[in-house]
Parts: sequence; C-alpha cells; structure tokens
Amino acid sequence: MKILIVDDFSTMRRIIKNLLRDLGFTNTEEADDGLTALPMLQAGKYDLLVTDWNMPGMQGIDLLKNVRADESLAALPVLMVTAEQKKEQIVEAAQAGVNGYIVKPFTAQTLQEKLEKIFERIG
Amino acid sequence: MDEKKLINDDNIARVRDLLESMEKGQENEAREILDDLTSIREASLYQEVGKLTRELHDAIGAFGMDDRITNLAEHDIPDARERLQYVITKTDDAANKTLTAVEASIPLCDEAESQASELSERWNKFTSKQLSADEFRSLTKDVSSFFSTLTSSSQSVKASLNEVLMAQDFQDLTGQIIKKVITLVDDVEGNLVNLVKLAGLPEPQSKIPKKDEEYLAGPVVPGVDTGDVVSGQDEVDDLLSSLGF
Repeated sequence: MKILIVDDFSTMRRIIKNLLRDLGFTNTEEADDGLTALPMLQAGKYDLLVTDWNMPGMQGIDLLKNVRADESLAALPVLMVTAEQKKEQIVEAAQAGVNGYIVKPFTAQTLQEKLEKIFERIG
Repeated sequence: MDEKKLINDDNIARVRDLLESMEKGQENEAREILDDLTSIREASLYQEVGKLTRELHDAIGAFGMDDRITNLAEHDIPDARERLQYVITKTDDAANKTLTAVEASIPLCDEAESQASELSERWNKFTSKQLSADEFRSLTKDVSSFFSTLTSSSQSVKASLNEVLMAQDFQDLTGQIIKKVITLVDDVEGNLVNLVKLAGLPEPQSKIPKKDEEYLAGPVVPGVDTGDVVSGQDEVDDLLSSLGF
C-alpha cells in the first residue's frame, strides 16, 4: 500500500504521515502541491492519494480533477483533508469524484474511519 | 456670512441715479454707476471663493498634519507584516520541534512494549515451570538488559517530552504580537473612518464585508463565520451521505 500525501505545510504532512504509520501504512511519500504531486502520481504506482485543498501552484480540487481525467489514474482513491468547510466546496469535491472528505482539525479516529470506508468500498 | 441685501435704500437710490443719468445721456456717469452696481455681485462671489479656498486649505492641512496616517502606511503596516511573518515562523518551529520529539519517542515506546510483552511471555512460562535451566539463564540475562534499555529509553522519552514542553513557549510571544497587530488594525480603521468623514462621504453602516465568491473560505472561525458552512466532520458526513456517498 503506497500513499501520496499532498499538503503545502510540512507539519501537516508529518502529522498525517505519523497517523498513517500508526495505522500500519508505512509506505508514504510527500508532495507540497498539485503541480509536484501529479507527475509523481503518473510516474509511481500509488494506491491512495491524501490531499489538502488550499495550496499554491495547483490546488487539491484541481489535482483531483486531473487525476480523474487521467485514464491511468482515474480509479485512484482520493481522500481530501482540508480546512475548507463551505458546503458548495464539499459538493464540488463530491462531484469531482472524491472518495472521502475530512475537515481540519481532525482526529486519528476520523482518519481511520474514512480510510476503512474507502477500502471497504474498493473491496 | 454677513452679505448685504441687494434691495436696500442705498441700491435703489443708485439705480435711480443710473436711470436718470442714462436718460440725460450722461455716458460716463452711467458707466460709473453700472460698474459700481456690478461690483456688489463680484464682492459676494469673491467672498464665496475665499471661503472655499480656506476650507480646501484646512482640509489639505489636516491631511498633511496627520503624520499618523503616513506613519501607518510607511512604517506600522510593513512592521505588522514582519511581525506576523515571525508568528508563522515561531508556530512552524514549535510544530516541527514537537513532531521531531514525538517521532523520536514513538519507536522507543514501540520497542519497550514489544520487549516487555516478549519477556512477560517467557516469565509466565517460568512461573508455570515450563522453562529449562538454560532458558532461565538466558531470561535473566535478557531481563537485566531490558532494565538498562528501559532506563535509557525512558530518559530519552523524558528529554523529548521536555522538548515538547519548551516548544510551547511560542504561545506567549505570538499572543503578544497578535494583540499588537489587532491594536494596529483598530488604529487603521479609526483613521480610515476619519478620512471618509474628511472626504464628506457617509460613514459606512454595514459591517458585513462583501465576499469574493472565488476566494477559498479557509478554516471556519467560531463566532465569526456564518452562512453556508459546515461546523464539523459530522455535518460533512451528513452532507455527503445526502449526496449518496
């Protein structure tokens, strides 16, 4: 299970990385925005993308849209972890094909639940 | 302004004089009286222009004299920007120090946990007399090595916890800085309101700012943000499940 964590704040990446490790996901890599993340996703075989929304360069929502538009990545599960709490934004993410949406600040338990739900659906 | 009334005995007499001199064909005299009468109008026009000039001069003076505004723009606001940048640096440092300390401690705890559970298993075997003499000797050796490992890793964890403790010192500093910036924002607001008054515009009544629809909402601040936002993970989940998630 290889996971890419995308957030412009290194502290948030570290927090997510540590939480994921605690849940048994040790194979994680990091990117600081969509522009860096997209080529990484295209080059390496990732099983999950965890991304923030508000980032310089390419925002998380655009990264999600790019992933869905790319044939080789279209099926990649995407979990959004963001401070964006506007209803229309959540709806936009859902319409763009997000697999899970977590609002910051979040707990380790929320992360675990959402991950379980995503993997349960994939089977 | 004590502008004299146009219709008064003096003026009526002069108009009569004008008529009389015109009827008599006294060209020079008529011209003189007419000039005199026109100057009454001019005098009040000059007075009005004078008044406006004085007001303009006062307004420009008030502008220039208010060093506070110049100071705000040239010094205080760039200063606030740097201070806020310092807040970002301090909180970033603190978060990184804390994360480093936690990341250093977790493997030590994991190691202690797994060693303890392994030793406890062997200890149970010993108490139920399932251990050979050789196995017991090896157990005592491992137990004594575990004690020394635990002593040193406890010291490391304690040092890390101290790091976490010390990393919280940002709160005091950032709190003071942010308070200063809030005072500055109040000051700027006051001065802007004065400017608006000076310009003769009505004071803005509405406290609700127009929001740029394109702009990302960012984190919700309790008591500040209202409207079409969710207030936590549960509401996100509800919204998504209403969309068939």
